[in-house]
Amino acid sequence: MSELLRTEGLRKCFGDLAAVDGVNLNLEADVLTSIIGPNGAGKTTLINLLTGNISPDSGKVFFKGVDITKMPTDKRVKRGICRSFQIMNIFPRLTVFKNVQLPVLSVLNKSLKPFSRLDDHRDAVAEVERILKEVGLWEKKDLLAGELSHGDQRLLEISMAIAAKPELCFLDEPSSGMNPVERVKVLELIKSLSTEREVTFTIVEHDMDVVFSLSERIIVMNRGKIIADGEPAQIRENKEVRDVYLGEEL
Amino acid sequence: MKRRYFPPRLKYKHIPTILLALLIVLLLLIPQFAGKYVTYMTMHILLFSLFALSFNLLLGYTGLLSFGQASFYAVGAYACAKILLVVPSLLLGVIGGVLFAGIIAVILGFLCVRHTAIYFAMLTLCFGMMIFSIAMKWRAFTGGDDGLVGIPRAPLEIPGIFSLDMSPMENYYYFVLIVSLIAIFIFYRIVNSPLGLTLQGIRDSESRIAFAGISVRNYRLIGFIIAGLYAGLAGAMLPPLENTVTPPIAHWSHSAQAVLASLLGGIHTFAGPIVGALLFYVIKDIIVRFTEYWLIFLGIIVLVLVLGLRGGVVSVFQDRLFPWLRLRFGEGGANERITKD
Repeated sequence: MSELLRTEGLRKCFGDLAAVDGVNLNLEADVLTSIIGPNGAGKTTLINLLTGNISPDSGKVFFKGVDITKMPTDKRVKRGICRSFQIMNIFPRLTVFKNVQLPVLSVLNKSLKPFSRLDDHRDAVAEVERILKEVGLWEKKDLLAGELSHGDQRLLEISMAIAAKPELCFLDEPSSGMNPVERVKVLELIKSLSTEREVTFTIVEHDMDVVFSLSERIIVMNRGKIIADGEPAQIRENKEVRDVYLGEEL
Repeated sequence: MKRRYFPPRLKYKHIPTILLALLIVLLLLIPQFAGKYVTYMTMHILLFSLFALSFNLLLGYTGLLSFGQASFYAVGAYACAKILLVVPSLLLGVIGGVLFAGIIAVILGFLCVRHTAIYFAMLTLCFGMMIFSIAMKWRAFTGGDDGLVGIPRAPLEIPGIFSLDMSPMENYYYFVLIVSLIAIFIFYRIVNSPLGLTLQGIRDSESRIAFAGISVRNYRLIGFIIAGLYAGLAGAMLPPLENTVTPPIAHWSHSAQAVLASLLGGIHTFAGPIVGALLFYVIKDIIVRFTEYWLIFLGIIVLVLVLGLRGGVVSVFQDRLFPWLRLRFGEGGANERITKD
């Protein structure tokens, strides 16, 4: 298996609190990985460090062997890292179609075209149509993104993330706030997207059912450190993990 | 509640285009029947429309509140005036004015777009006032508070090819009208292009746009420069009209007029700033006849309209009265719902 992303001694403090404390991590291509841990374990901070939203106090991040520690977010995206957000982050005043069209045009290096019509770029329009049909939002393409239901907005966020054609895509709680039916749909979607589009997803989740049914590898964090890393079956048996989750049935 | 409009009946589809054509015909005929004063006012409204559009590219499309738009207008005007005082060629003056405004926009933009929200507004205000001070104090170059006077309305000519006398007001009116219409058409293309979409994405979510692989700072700078060029174009057409330029056009209150006009017309519509500019001039022109404290009354009227017609006059027209209008004019802003028939 080929290594996609690697970190060395990644550390980030907020005041006295070490949110991410010396994390060494390897993410491999084509392995659907989940990062779990109790609230405040540092999962979102870790993703923020990997995607460039914040920069680390020390440590390094490598993507496909290249040091990207100091690289701004947009350049990382061009190299193949993308993400969705825990708190909804879409373009609420644009239509669903344009929400996806924007990153697609960016991938095709057409964002700077000042005079052409949006619909003139047939390749982009076709790609947007493919994505929206895949995630099941095609019927709603002309609605404003801000008018969508919560579940649909989550789907839209995933669409926007994969529209940037990433190799590695982080999803921060993709199923939060969804009802059980929607949750199953999202899981199916993530599975099919990862095979069809050859995206390696790394997911941060709270819902253990989701994590164990979906992942091929699970990383458990607590207080900024990785305390366990392995296949779902191994994690289930891990004593320390059980302690962290206070004896919760895994 | 989700609002959705049914596809309009066929006969509605062409009405906006017909109205637009009628409006252009009307504008073309103004010098023939409306007299000098209206012609003169229309030129001012056209310049102010371009100015307000340039401001709204930043606020309505990119989400940046600039209080320094007047400085680019002034740079355009002063540069054009300086050129015309040396070389009496209208084309050279206007192009020079636009270019100079663009150069200043590159420099100031580079410093301003690093910040957003209130910091951006304050920075643009500061730089705007710096330009105002230069216009006011550098007497040897800008003429100080007297401004530059005796600027010729130079002929529109390319030596050896053609030459058009601009001294009759009507001729200059057609120059301003045609340049403005072309500029507005290009502006329309820009905001509906991939670039325009990207700018709107920045407005809606800066953190998300980075994950489309877009450098927020670079694209903000591009928006800032385009806005500067448009303000410069509006400014550059002023000196040949007035034969003078004076420092007040660089003052922040002049920037504020663009803010008012855009809010009045609606910042989330394409035509908003243009309609706002028209209303602004008409209201001002009426009030000025009764009192010199016109700004107070204008302020009250704008307040009532902004509070009463949330989203601006154009939005209200499009959303509540004539929803089919947006088929043609509604694109680009927040309220675009139907993009294809």
